[in-house]
Amino acid sequence: MSRTALHNDVPERIHPEDGDEECPICHSKRYLRRDMRFLINPECYHRMCESCIDRIFSHGPAPCPVAGCGKTLRRHRFRAPTFQDLQLEREVDIRKRVSQVFNKQEDDFDTLLDYNNYLNDVEDITHNLIHNIEVDAMEQRLREYEAANRQAITENSKRSNQGMRDEKRRLASEKEQARLRQQSAASEAQAYKAERDAARRNVISQLATGRGDADTIARRGQTVLKKSKALREQYERRPEPVDTGFQVKGLKKTVKAGPVNPYDPFDGLTAKHEYGIVHDNYRWQPLEQAKKDRRIMAGGYDIDEYCSRMLTDLYVGFGVFVGEDEDVATAGAGMAAMTDTVMTDVS
Amino acid sequence: MRFFIDNLEVLFPYPRIYPEQYDYMCDLKRTLDMDGGKAVLEMPSGTGKTVTLLSLIVAYIQQNPAKRKLIYCSRTMSEIEKALAELKALMKYRKQELGYEEEFRGLGLTSRKNLCLNSSVKREKSGAIVDARCRALTAGFVKEKKERGEDVDLCIYHENLDPLEPDNLIPNGIWTLDDLLQYGEQHKQCPYFTARRMMPFCNVIIYSYHYLLDPKIAERVSKDFPKDCIVVFDEAHNIDNVCIESLSIDITEDSLRRATRGANNLERRIEEMKSTDAEKLQNEYQKLVEGLREAEEAREEDAFIANPVLPDDLLSEAVPGNIRRAEHFVSFLKRFIEYLKTRMKVLHVISETPVSFLAHLRELTFIERKPLRFCAERLTSLIRTLELTSIEDLHPLQEVATFATLVATYDKGFVLILEPFETDTATVPNPIFHFACLDAAIAIKPVFDRFGSVIITSGTISPLDMYPRMLDFNALVQESYPMTLARKSFLPLIVTRGSDQGTLSSSFQIRNDPSVVRNYGDLLVEFCRLTPDGVVVFFPSYLYMESIVSMWQGMGILDSIWKHKLILVETPDAQETALALEAFRSACNNGRGAVLLSVARGKVSEGIDFDHNYGRTVICIGVPFQYTESRILKARLEFLRETYRIRENDFLSFDAMRHAAQCLGRVLRGKDDYGVMVLADRRFQKKRAQLPKWINQALLDSETNLSVDQAVSQAKHFLKNMAKPFPPEFQYGISTWSLEDLKAYQAKLEEEEIRMLEGEVGPEAVGPNRVVDEFDDIDEEALMALDP
Repeated sequence: MSRTALHNDVPERIHPEDGDEECPICHSKRYLRRDMRFLINPECYHRMCESCIDRIFSHGPAPCPVAGCGKTLRRHRFRAPTFQDLQLEREVDIRKRVSQVFNKQEDDFDTLLDYNNYLNDVEDITHNLIHNIEVDAMEQRLREYEAANRQAITENSKRSNQGMRDEKRRLASEKEQARLRQQSAASEAQAYKAERDAARRNVISQLATGRGDADTIARRGQTVLKKSKALREQYERRPEPVDTGFQVKGLKKTVKAGPVNPYDPFDGLTAKHEYGIVHDNYRWQPLEQAKKDRRIMAGGYDIDEYCSRMLTDLYVGFGVFVGEDEDVATAGAGMAAMTDTVMTDVS
Repeated sequence: MRFFIDNLEVLFPYPRIYPEQYDYMCDLKRTLDMDGGKAVLEMPSGTGKTVTLLSLIVAYIQQNPAKRKLIYCSRTMSEIEKALAELKALMKYRKQELGYEEEFRGLGLTSRKNLCLNSSVKREKSGAIVDARCRALTAGFVKEKKERGEDVDLCIYHENLDPLEPDNLIPNGIWTLDDLLQYGEQHKQCPYFTARRMMPFCNVIIYSYHYLLDPKIAERVSKDFPKDCIVVFDEAHNIDNVCIESLSIDITEDSLRRATRGANNLERRIEEMKSTDAEKLQNEYQKLVEGLREAEEAREEDAFIANPVLPDDLLSEAVPGNIRRAEHFVSFLKRFIEYLKTRMKVLHVISETPVSFLAHLRELTFIERKPLRFCAERLTSLIRTLELTSIEDLHPLQEVATFATLVATYDKGFVLILEPFETDTATVPNPIFHFACLDAAIAIKPVFDRFGSVIITSGTISPLDMYPRMLDFNALVQESYPMTLARKSFLPLIVTRGSDQGTLSSSFQIRNDPSVVRNYGDLLVEFCRLTPDGVVVFFPSYLYMESIVSMWQGMGILDSIWKHKLILVETPDAQETALALEAFRSACNNGRGAVLLSVARGKVSEGIDFDHNYGRTVICIGVPFQYTESRILKARLEFLRETYRIRENDFLSFDAMRHAAQCLGRVLRGKDDYGVMVLADRRFQKKRAQLPKWINQALLDSETNLSVDQAVSQAKHFLKNMAKPFPPEFQYGISTWSLEDLKAYQAKLEEEEIRMLEGEVGPEAVGPNRVVDEFDDIDEEALMALDP
């Protein structure tokens, strides 16, 4: 996430208020050199010009040249300030650091009061850090919290990053939608105008060629115009276009409800074979006989029905699901093993 | 005059009634009978709209046991006073007719500046300072301090109210603003607070739109009105702009600087209080933990700072923890102000939505949306806790806080526009950050939601269906009334060509062509020659007026006007304009005659009447379109298209025509008045349908495409006819009805209805058409009688 502003990336025109800015080190003024850049170091937030920084810090770390400061600064940490007020620049840096650690969100709390109390405590720490009150104690608290909640912190930051990305994507898509709508409205207006002009030209040219009755031609032209007017009115009554990119904002994250089960008249009772698989045909002598038996093959029955009934009769008390509990079945639960052998025998 | 509408007895304070007034009353009653009825009604200017409204609604209130309350909103002070005077006359008439005085109270409310009696406060010129000084003398805690024995000043006028009965601060009756001041002076009681406190006990309240539409004020002044109030917006043709302005905020660098100063002051005060009276801050903190509403308790009339509208659920929610402490909140504000300052440094135009603004804000300064929403409320609470009395310097800070709340509350219908340069050619930046409301429906929505009957009315509110669309409501009754006239007393003309057949138009491509300018000049010279007394001319903009007048000077046109009329010009400066108007009036009165050059969106076009000899001709030079390059307007057009499906061109043309109609309406202020209305632009021909019905109906087809010389001959003929004496008797039975006429009409209507029920006659037999027919025959007869 870059700290350079999203929008103000056009530095060519210099704000006149900055014209009399002066570098505290070399005392050169912006008035004389329009392209001068002032940078700061988040160590001590002293502002100095780029050429001074090049001169002083190009050979490695050096103390800050501002009188009375003397903090050791490194060149690579210099950057352009975002705000004019350097106090705020510092404050924002601190806030950034704190917010990276204390990144809980409202959903993480049971009640709003807890969340607000948490926010209050965080703000207390931040405030003290900013105003240099008991800095050590505060740093200590920060570190302790970080150590204690490392996992939650990374999770939360991941989540908030995701949220921000979503937000950005949504914004972009909204913009795109608006642009498209505008375009379509413009083209529609143009089309309407073109149509109207064409109709008028048509009437004129028909009149000019002189065939037919002038009145009828004019009337016909009128109806064409009216039709396009009706089209135009239709536009006004047209229903709102469906925005596909639209998302409702500010909703709480809700648990996704599962799909509602369809109505089951048998209340969970199934005709599925739980204890075995019915094959299409078994090579087994008694079965061939049964096929001829009229008691079994009476109207409405067939041999598969018979087989499945036989198998159900056989396994019904076992309570073992062969298909699902393969492990149990093969791991030597006696009954299951027997089932298997029987099955192999059968097939 | 007493008569019945259905079973409602109406007492009308004049012996004669206009037919359109009767129709208006019928429609009004229909609206009131339906609960939740909203109406848009257009009645020609100068036909006694106010008195019609008042007499019907008062009759309605008095007859119904529910005693609904009437909230009558108008636009300017003078209109409010006029309405109060009408109401007073009406109640006097009712007393005379009924023989006893009714229990009925009516009050007008205006700003402290107009109602203050305290000699030291009254002297201040600016309204904001009067407000602030008044608060410093009347706030609740100031009184507490006094009771504790501290040496603080109190306003004696305000103090005198306390021992009085709270529901009877002022006797029964109607009190105009002057009456209120006089009564206050006699009894040494504050008129402003008398009015404010009596509002719940009044039957009629008359005040400015802002008290109801501006959410910052409405929250405090108009909160406690019951749901069944009848709300009337008079002169409402500009209501959408009022709504929009009430929610828009402009921030400049200067205001940010002062806001910073205000924040620093607050910080200092907090430090002081911490060392002297830490308990108070702690108390506030405790209350904020529980919730904002508890902390606010009752929002009293002395509340320091106004708050923009917030959803109720938000108000009952607790303040976010990170702005709960006073010092945290101040640093929060400062951070926000610094951020805005940084934004101001950008040297190119930015236009963005609140959502992207908030995203950027959060990225840079870690300010979340939620605390931002509470900003204004939190600031109010803080200021009350700190017991600050001099809040003038906090005004910019409050503005920033309001901005913060609004930007975080509304996603849609707003746009943020940063304009670094005042004009395109300027090189020195003077950035303005516009937070512009685009949706007029936002501000007026609470009114529609809360009150049952809302009536929007004006002299020029065509096309009627635009308002329900823009303001997003369903109008149950939409009606435009024609003007019944015994003789055609105004002459609308559309002039499209000069005498040389060259086009007349103020469209951008040809507006500076010498031939166009000369044709306009000829038009003006001709009309100045033939019109007696006053002529009023409206231009689309100051810029165009300046350029055309200087070209006329070069062409010698001004010299020829000078022979006939004195030339006066409206300027953006209010005092200069007032002077010009005064000179104009005296020139019209002494027979010299004058022509006033003014601007269609200026002060003159909105509030000043040119009745009788002050305005015999009005000329609208060019279609008064808005300046379409304005970024705010562009954003609004886009919004209207996207949300309400109103096309750019439709809206622009509607807006231009309502201003043109408003200008035209300036000259005709009654039935005995007459005048010529000239629309001088080719483009008016196509926009004719958008004129109010009463103007359009008088505009004959043969008069819509005239050249200057044709128009002049028409106008000459018209003025000659008008100059003949026209005794009021000629109007009897046609454009004014006596009681008998009215009864005859009612009987006729009844008969029609019976016949219609029997299926003999279609409904179209009744209706406004009757008026036109009658007036054509009788007009001729009457005029013939006059001819020798």
